[in-house]
Parts: sequence; C-alpha cells; structure tokens
Amino acid sequence: MNGKRGFGGGGRGKAGAQGGQQGKDGQRRPMFRRRKVCKFCADKIDDINYKDTKLLMPFVPERAKILPRRISGTCAMHQRKLRTAIMRARQLALIPYTAE
Amino acid sequence: MNRKYELVYVVSPDATDAQVGDLHSQVEQIAQRLGGKIDKTDNWGRRKLAYEIGRHKEGTYVLETIDGGGELMKEIDRRLKVSDLIIRHLIVRIDEDQTKIERTRSKRTDSTRRRRVARGLPPDRQPGEGQRSDMEDDDRFDLPEVER
Repeated sequence: MNGKRGFGGGGRGKAGAQGGQQGKDGQRRPMFRRRKVCKFCADKIDDINYKDTKLLMPFVPERAKILPRRISGTCAMHQRKLRTAIMRARQLALIPYTAE
Repeated sequence: MNRKYELVYVVSPDATDAQVGDLHSQVEQIAQRLGGKIDKTDNWGRRKLAYEIGRHKEGTYVLETIDGGGELMKEIDRRLKVSDLIIRHLIVRIDEDQTKIERTRSKRTDSTRRRRVARGLPPDRQPGEGQRSDMEDDDRFDLPEVER
C-alpha cells in the first residue's frame, strides 16, 4: 500500500512539473482525466473548522464516510486537517457517523 | 496559563432558556474562580442532531471561547460530564491553531506582494484586475511540493 501511494504521488508530481499535461508516450490513457487540485489550496482556505458544516459536508457523501484523497484530490496536509475537523463535528452530532 | 479554549456543549431540548442561561453562568463562575474568563459566548439555538443521542433528536448548541489554564478546563470538563442536562460537549484548544493560521496567511500575502513588486506591479491588487490572477498558477505549481 505504501509503495502504491508513493507511486501515485510521484506520478502527480511529474505531471505538475510538465505543466499539467498527461498523455506522454509513457502511459497511454485514452480517456481524458482532469487533474485534481486540492480544494483548500486552490481556494486558499487556511482554517478547516469543525463548526463549518457547509465546508465539510461535500467530503462526507451519502454513507457519511470521509471521502478518500484519491477521489477528492485533497493534499495530504489538508486531508489531515479535514479528518480532525470531521471527527470533531461528528462528536457534536453536526455530521453523522453513518447513514443507512 | 493564558491559553485559549473553545467549548461547545449541546443542551437537552427539554431544558428551558433559563436553564441554558444557568449553565452558562455556572461555567462563568468556575472560570472566574480559577482565574480565567469567558471571551465570547454564542448561542446557536436549537438544531437538529445528525444522529440520535439517547432519545434526543434535537439540541441547543452553545459555544464559549474561554481564556484560561488547563486546570480550569479540566474542572469544567468534569462538571459538564456530571450534568445530565448536557448531552454532548467538546473542548478544543485553539490558540496554537490560530497563530498557525495567522502565520500562513501573512506569509502568503507577503509572497504575493513580493512577486507583484518583482513584476513591476503595485503590491496590492488593483480593483480593475481580473479574477484570474497570476498567483493562482503559481500556487498550483507549489502543490506537489506540499504533498511530499
């Protein structure tokens, strides 16, 4: 799992260095995939607060599980902060733990 | 000693407004006794809970920002645990996070200004400039570095 994640990160870093364009002859990908950008970095949100349910709700879809980084594109630092914020909000019943 | 804490507690919906006010004054009393003070109080009013706690489906949320030491918060925590009107509470230390946020914010404005000056622009963004600034692109470039 560790190796996999390292590989993914390296790949993304490379894409960034090349100016965000994939489709080099190294790996062929017929489908166009948009490069994911961390929402918090892009919007410059410094404070991920547990009281701000509106901000957190998009990251806990249907089943109320925390959206993984590989889907949301959040960077590691912000995913960590997001996680603590969601866990705090759950304690106060602002966000559900589960939904059936 | 001068640390900042945030306290949120959820009061049972059966409690009257007077009882909620009573809880607030209790907290205030403890704070005063142990050499702290309440900076701010915010009553969010009655909200629906995201899940049932016991038999409750709603609760009154109250947020207090408290200036004080660890001993004080320990005492408040103990008292809130004992009280049966309160169905949930959370104490979070906020002063460290606040300074961190402040630092990143000032760092960012500083670097923006420096870049703008380097390009021969006035340091602050002019009202006529478009929504997409050059700075956004720079930040996207920085992103992989943050991840590593």
